[in-house]
Amino acid sequence: MRLLSVLGLLACVPLLADEPPPEQLEFFEKKIRPVLVKECYSCHSAQAKSVKGSLLLDTREGIRRGGENGHGVVPGNLEESLVIEAIRYEGLEMPPGKQLPEYVIRDLEKWVRMGAADPREGKSAPIRRTIDFEKARDFWSFQPIEAPQPPKATAWSAEAIDRFVLERLNAAGLKPSADAEPRIFMRRLYFDLIGLPPTPEQVSEFVESPTAGTLQEIVDRLLSSDQFGERWARHWMDVVRYAESTGMERNYTYPEAWRYRDYLITAFNSDLPFDQFLTEQIAGDLLSFGNNGERDRHLIATGMLAMGPKSLNERDREKFAMDIVDEQIDVVSRAFLGLTASCARCHDHKFDPIPQKEYYQLAGIFRSTQTFYGTDGGGGNRQGGRLLALRDDEVVPVAVNGANSKKNARSNVKKLTAQLAAQKKRLKRFSDQPKANPKQVEQTKKAITRIEKQLAAAKGILDAPADNANHGLVMAVQDNGNPADTQVRIRGEANERGESVPRGFLTIATLGAATQPTDKSSGRRELTDWLLAKENPLTARVAVNRIWQHLFGQGIVRTVNNFGANGDRPSHPELLDHLATQFVTQDQWSVKSMLRRIVLSRTYRQGSTPVAAAIERDPQNRLLWRMNPRRLEAEALRDAVLAVSGTLDLSPGEKSIVQTVGNGDVGRNLRPDQFDSSDPKRSIYLPIVRGVVPEMLRVFDFPEPSIIAGARDVTTVPTQALYMMNSPFVTQQSSEMAARLLESDNSDEGRIRFAYELALSRPATDAEVERSLDFITTASEKNAQEEESEMTAWAGFCQVLLASAEFRYLE
Amino acid sequence: MNGTSRRQALKTTSCGFGYLALAGIAAEAAAAGHPNSPLAPKTPHFAPKAKRVIFLCMRGGPSHVDTFDYKPELETHAGKSPGEVEGATSQKGRKLKPSPWKFRQHGDSGLPISDLYPNLSKHADDLCLINGAHTTLPNHPQALVQLHTGQFQFVRPSVGSWVLYGLGTENQDLPGFITLKPPARLGGAQNYGSAFLPAVYQGTAIGSNGQPINQAKIGNISNGRFDAATQRSQLDLLQNANRDLLKRHDPHPELEGVIESYELAFRMQTAVPKLMDISDETAGTLKQYGINQGRTDDFGRMCLMARRFAEAGVRYIELTHEGWDQHNGLSARLEANCGATDKPIAGLIADLKQRDLLKDTLIIWSGEFGRTPAVRRDDGRDHNATGFSVWMAGGGVKGGMRYGATDDFGITAVENKFHTHDLHATTLHLLGLDHTQLTYRYAGRDFRLTDVHGNIAEDIIG
Repeated sequence: MRLLSVLGLLACVPLLADEPPPEQLEFFEKKIRPVLVKECYSCHSAQAKSVKGSLLLDTREGIRRGGENGHGVVPGNLEESLVIEAIRYEGLEMPPGKQLPEYVIRDLEKWVRMGAADPREGKSAPIRRTIDFEKARDFWSFQPIEAPQPPKATAWSAEAIDRFVLERLNAAGLKPSADAEPRIFMRRLYFDLIGLPPTPEQVSEFVESPTAGTLQEIVDRLLSSDQFGERWARHWMDVVRYAESTGMERNYTYPEAWRYRDYLITAFNSDLPFDQFLTEQIAGDLLSFGNNGERDRHLIATGMLAMGPKSLNERDREKFAMDIVDEQIDVVSRAFLGLTASCARCHDHKFDPIPQKEYYQLAGIFRSTQTFYGTDGGGGNRQGGRLLALRDDEVVPVAVNGANSKKNARSNVKKLTAQLAAQKKRLKRFSDQPKANPKQVEQTKKAITRIEKQLAAAKGILDAPADNANHGLVMAVQDNGNPADTQVRIRGEANERGESVPRGFLTIATLGAATQPTDKSSGRRELTDWLLAKENPLTARVAVNRIWQHLFGQGIVRTVNNFGANGDRPSHPELLDHLATQFVTQDQWSVKSMLRRIVLSRTYRQGSTPVAAAIERDPQNRLLWRMNPRRLEAEALRDAVLAVSGTLDLSPGEKSIVQTVGNGDVGRNLRPDQFDSSDPKRSIYLPIVRGVVPEMLRVFDFPEPSIIAGARDVTTVPTQALYMMNSPFVTQQSSEMAARLLESDNSDEGRIRFAYELALSRPATDAEVERSLDFITTASEKNAQEEESEMTAWAGFCQVLLASAEFRYLE
Repeated sequence: MNGTSRRQALKTTSCGFGYLALAGIAAEAAAAGHPNSPLAPKTPHFAPKAKRVIFLCMRGGPSHVDTFDYKPELETHAGKSPGEVEGATSQKGRKLKPSPWKFRQHGDSGLPISDLYPNLSKHADDLCLINGAHTTLPNHPQALVQLHTGQFQFVRPSVGSWVLYGLGTENQDLPGFITLKPPARLGGAQNYGSAFLPAVYQGTAIGSNGQPINQAKIGNISNGRFDAATQRSQLDLLQNANRDLLKRHDPHPELEGVIESYELAFRMQTAVPKLMDISDETAGTLKQYGINQGRTDDFGRMCLMARRFAEAGVRYIELTHEGWDQHNGLSARLEANCGATDKPIAGLIADLKQRDLLKDTLIIWSGEFGRTPAVRRDDGRDHNATGFSVWMAGGGVKGGMRYGATDDFGITAVENKFHTHDLHATTLHLLGLDHTQLTYRYAGRDFRLTDVHGNIAEDIIG
């Protein structure tokens, strides 16, 4: 493009060295220079206080060279002249705020068309923001991870963690809170590790023997239970925007997304080391494997790169491809590095040392990668994708509902059979007519032969062994056939290509040597090596910070997805480095080991009771003088309701409703209510269709599943209260719980006490028993004429426990 | 009964919605005592012209040259190709089609409006016709999502969510952002979603496309188990427990929030159904909106509800009317759509005016784009994103005015071009919000509704 325009320029305007005709210069002086001086120089001249967009318009050289977005003026070429684009308000809008009058715009267009005669001599030094990486590395998160010496042990400290925390508390004149009561602590521990409340028996186990030995036993048991993965996989699903449809303006289902969910659950349960976990998700398809099971697992892991939101109605293929690349860079850089590299798509990152060029170095890696997401059914699926079929001997791309699918074959057989019958009928008619046109007869015979062949082929597909039924279809990625570098896209416009840049990584986080991508593959494997290099200052910090956040309610760095300039600073930098070092060296990237270390600390064990003096000094509890009171996430709340009512089904979810419903466009040929689920399994198995998130989750701050979410909002709104008061789910579950109480062999008082133990893990006070009895009596008398008035009254009481703040908040 | 005395009568009737309006004020006062509530009313950036928005979304892309953009040149050049004039390839093989409907001038201002809107045109002097509207793409999905969120490439908060985030809401007994019968597809919930803004700012959907509005309900608003008195004693038991917990954990603003939210929810159970129940409206009012009159009934009810929501202090109200995508059967189907909405919208304007609410209620009428003045088929028009019409009324906008223009044929906006971003910038401006200042920090940078775009159409502001 660029070359062509230059040639065009040479052909139709006088060479630059030539003196332009005087009437053109006059036009410039009369019509153009005054406008530039008045409207543009304040930001785009040597005199400007600060030059915007690295663009100078006060010399011929400057206006033609242009700024960071491209050429200001290309003589004779309106399309390539950004000044024209900007004053037309097509994309860029200049001058900002008030568009130039129509006639001025026409003058400038005319000027460019005539050849942009410009007598303004003089050099404009190119303005290029250069990043001083050495200086930029002074920023805390780009510093190498140190292994700081923990402060001295004290009587309070159990783990090294405690010594770091205590030191900061002492320095601020604060002291740690006393250990939480055993029953409170059990509730916290169970919810944090497996996302479910402890049973009354499980609470008593520790209450009766609150020793370090018992605690370790309990922790080990929880970490090795199947429910652990169902809790911790969900945290990661927030980060990688797990969802089972494309979202966006056309919302096509991803019926195979559930495999990635199951992969995560297994990964956490089997304590897959985090380095391996990272590698499999970014480059699983490039790893060696021992058997097909391992191969399949690796492929499924790359589903992370495939399940982002997609604008399938996009007409422009290149733009669509670059949008996918952008989404993949976004998820990888924020999930693993805590950097918003995507901000450098259109220009150098405004806050962090990430040049636009490096964004396109990463982009080359993902542009050399093919994404298989598989969408089908309905119109507007302009950019529909395929899936990968896992077979014994190979992995092959397949269309979701392509020409060779059984579904298609079935309808073809039907169609062709009808066609064949019609043609045969026709032929018979001809044979009855002595004067039949021989040409027509010949045509009909040919048609019959053709249809018979097609029919046989279609039947063949139909009769073939069920290929994809036994071997899964997966969302995944593969290297494309032609790994190559890509070009910088000017202003992020997919079709405006600048210079080609070699595939590579971010300079700022490269503290050691890095192996660069080769021509043989996309470079994702090299990318994972770079992410996991022992010199990489971010990966381990970001990972342990996420774990910490889920146990304390806030990270050591509170902006868990942003370790850049606009992010938060660590409250305990040494502790963060200590944990990062332990994670890599001691734990060999084992998430369970890291968790065990933290939950056995005294810091984690503290009570959450407010202390006036401490609140005064550290209202946000940044120094951890207590445990933060936390609200249960939507899933834990729903699972707890099911657990307490006695209806929770702990067996793993099978696939997903989305898989059963199949391919289609939600709201167009699929109805949102087709995804309703009343399955009493754990919430992680609920279908997550973008825009159709299950009500319970949506009401309780489930993050928008198109967004890379590191931390959840905690809002308190009446719709939540209405849900707890009136929703069919809570109504039904409170009835189930009432039935459970009424079946128990107890007095009314005994039932109430049992209910408190079940729901709140503590004994009821006498006042609570009395109040509850009062309510139950009043409510059942009031509805005495109704058949199940007693049952209804008890359900009403159970609902109070489920709806209570105490049920929803962890102390 | 004239407007003033009706209002007085309502205020003195404790069960009318005058009561609700008062309750709204009480709730506002209550919320003012709890500045922590993310929905408490907030001070705008500068003095607002409008306090609330009623957005009439005509889903599908209504034809501008048959409604609000009078193009006599179509008559003159009927049947010709606009090719040379516009040079647009998309115009190839198309022939200019004059509107089958007559345009007449209306009101003192003499605004030209087609005969499709006999009732609405009576309010011509209140309408600001924006004839130079344009948007980025002529595809329903992208254009509709952009109309609602400013963007179609990424998931971004909807206009209503931004407004709620910027201004809070006046009546804490009601949702601050209500959308009636939103489309399930074409972005679906994204069109009223809060994206990265806290979930509390998302819109509350009532009803869905195809469902009569009188069968629609807000979720979980009624209790199937107990009567109100028993539910109250149940709530008392609950609140006792919550207050006990708060005592143990004071200060704990979130727990206070929980306690408060239950009281609000309890009040909403009464307030919302009452607000949606129009049986207390006079026969005259129902008639004015075209309720119980065949094709105007459903949208008439939606418009009346919108007035009731507006009056009760809901900040942002959206009504969707579907089916404006007339590639075929333009003459019958456009007539049917206009017929179903003309009287209800006219009724809404008249009613708001009568109650002195029009002055600070901004009504916006828009589709996701317009339709081609040049056609391929005799009786249908295709998508036209380069030029179409939007109109506004009330809320500090000048009435009886045409702002901006398309070319002679209505194909491309050429004068005072008004992009979707400009619609958003202007809407926020009328609400007292500076679109460049209303930002939210997410993923390391400050986002805004208009991204790096948006110009305020100063000329239309009264």
